[in-house]
Amino acid sequence: MTLVKVQKLTKTYGKKTVVNGIDIEFGHHKCVALIGPNGAGKTTTLRMLAGLLKPTSGSIYFESQNKTPDIREFIGYLPQYPAFHTWMTGREFLTFSGKLANLSKEEANKRADELLKEVGISREAQDERISRYSGGMKQRLGIAQAIIHKPKLLILDEPVASLDPIGRREVLILMEKLKEEMTILFSTHILNDAEEISDELILLNDGKVIESGKLTELRKKYQTTVIELQVDDDITKYVDRINNLQAVLNTKIERDILYITSDHLNNARKEILNLVLTENWPVTTFSINKASLEDMFMKVVNS
Amino acid sequence: MQWMTLLKKELLENWRNKKWIWVPLVIILLSIMDPLTTYFMPQILDSVGGMPEGTVIEMPEFAPAEVVLITLGQLSSLGVLIVVLITMGTITGERKSGVSELVLVKPVSFWNYISAKWVSFLLLVWASLFFGILVHWYYINILFGNLSFTEFLTIFFFFGVWLTFVVSLTIFYSSVVKSTGLVAFFTILTIMAMSLVTEIFQYVLDWSPNNLSDYIFESLVNGEVVSDLWITAGITFGISLLLLVSSVQIFKRKEMVIS
Amino acid sequence: MEVLTENIQLFLPLIIIQVVLFIVAIIDIIRIKETNGPKWIWVIVAFLSILGPIIYFIFGRRRD
Repeated sequence: MTLVKVQKLTKTYGKKTVVNGIDIEFGHHKCVALIGPNGAGKTTTLRMLAGLLKPTSGSIYFESQNKTPDIREFIGYLPQYPAFHTWMTGREFLTFSGKLANLSKEEANKRADELLKEVGISREAQDERISRYSGGMKQRLGIAQAIIHKPKLLILDEPVASLDPIGRREVLILMEKLKEEMTILFSTHILNDAEEISDELILLNDGKVIESGKLTELRKKYQTTVIELQVDDDITKYVDRINNLQAVLNTKIERDILYITSDHLNNARKEILNLVLTENWPVTTFSINKASLEDMFMKVVNS
Repeated sequence: MQWMTLLKKELLENWRNKKWIWVPLVIILLSIMDPLTTYFMPQILDSVGGMPEGTVIEMPEFAPAEVVLITLGQLSSLGVLIVVLITMGTITGERKSGVSELVLVKPVSFWNYISAKWVSFLLLVWASLFFGILVHWYYINILFGNLSFTEFLTIFFFFGVWLTFVVSLTIFYSSVVKSTGLVAFFTILTIMAMSLVTEIFQYVLDWSPNNLSDYIFESLVNGEVVSDLWITAGITFGISLLLLVSSVQIFKRKEMVIS
Repeated sequence: MEVLTENIQLFLPLIIIQVVLFIVAIIDIIRIKETNGPKWIWVIVAFLSILGPIIYFIFGRRRD
């Protein structure tokens, strides 16, 4: 079932089009990564979804919006650089956020208590002023305030970009857990982060969706195999024979290594090894490398 | 419920940043400065010296109402300046730091967001003024003569209306302009322009908010609240409400982000 | 000075307010995490004039 459906979403500032007719759709309990290079329009898109920015044109539909005119009740949002009332304690800020989201006083206190534990803010730090928090603590407090009202959609803008490896791991684990309760839409410019926890990818460049779909499907779609072949001889003598094989897409030679690209690994391997054995090639290296999504990312962005 | 949450947050913020301590103290200071200096002027001049031997300094006798007017003048300049300076950053500051994003991404109504700020600053300003005028009233009674409790209430209430207007104007600019400095600049400029216009068209603009102090004085002299004061106060309060409503409307239409 | 000593009960509130403002400002400067510009400058400002503490509260406190 569709949770969010975005159609022809556009945002322009003067003559500059930052987001250019985006269509996005995703369902419940998904983890969707919005990925793209810096300046692709990720933050602007997320801000429009969170209701902080008015789209220049296009529509955003939320599943629950018939029940209430204020879609913000169903959304939790964490900006890339969250700012807090630093004169409050972590607990005070969470309770404050909860009450703003129309939780009762008791509920807000209870949720604040739960979340402080869940995101791992130590007992001493809970009642300390936020001005004394470290960056990682602020990021975790930021996630806590975003989910205090149990939103259906959690929007995170570059949630791990500013964190050290340990902080990054902690946040990713937390997101993994949250995925079971809500849909997470997060932006990143690092493919690794996206691959690690997301089910779906939306690739954004220059304000446009270039590619989107399930991670597994995209992997399959862009997966090509590269076979490396080295011989104890002049490699150019063998190129033509390889090129004639059915399963081979193309070849190239770099520093006496022959790179053979194929979209059908099994057949290519069989045909090449067959050739090698029957004609007794002086093979020194034969290895198979699968292209990663990273290559696909670069390829799509560059094309 | 949500409105109370926002109001409590504002009150707590102004407590923790010490405004609830220093603003009342400064207003009290401003309110007793003039009665004291006016009363002791001859002695002060004398002790400073430099007067030829035998000079008798004749100072006019001040009526209580006149000293009140002098003090209201003080509160209209320095007092207003302080009110503007403490209020100016309430929206622009939150927007600049980015906290407003975390607040407004929750289902917070813009009306609640701005009106809670308005009320919290009015509470602070009215409380400060209350203590200031109370101490002022005490000094007047000791040094210059009788001023009744009703007259104290008249001064406090009607001058409070003027400061309500100042708070409203500052909050209005705070929701319109992006920089805190510009908020102060525009607010002061507007008040000065209003006073100039009131001066020039004084026969037409009988009920300009800038006339409140004069009508308070007139009421003290007359021994009863003159009708002009009621009308002017009503108009001033009306403009304040109008400013509040327009702040919310303008804020709604504005983009929250700066970049 | 005679004016002051003879009418001390009238001037006392003035002095008390000054002292309170000064103490609150100094405590605040010490306890706050950061001020606009170095803290020691604000300590000096608070000492310098009767307006010092007020100037600190308005311009020295970092808004957060």
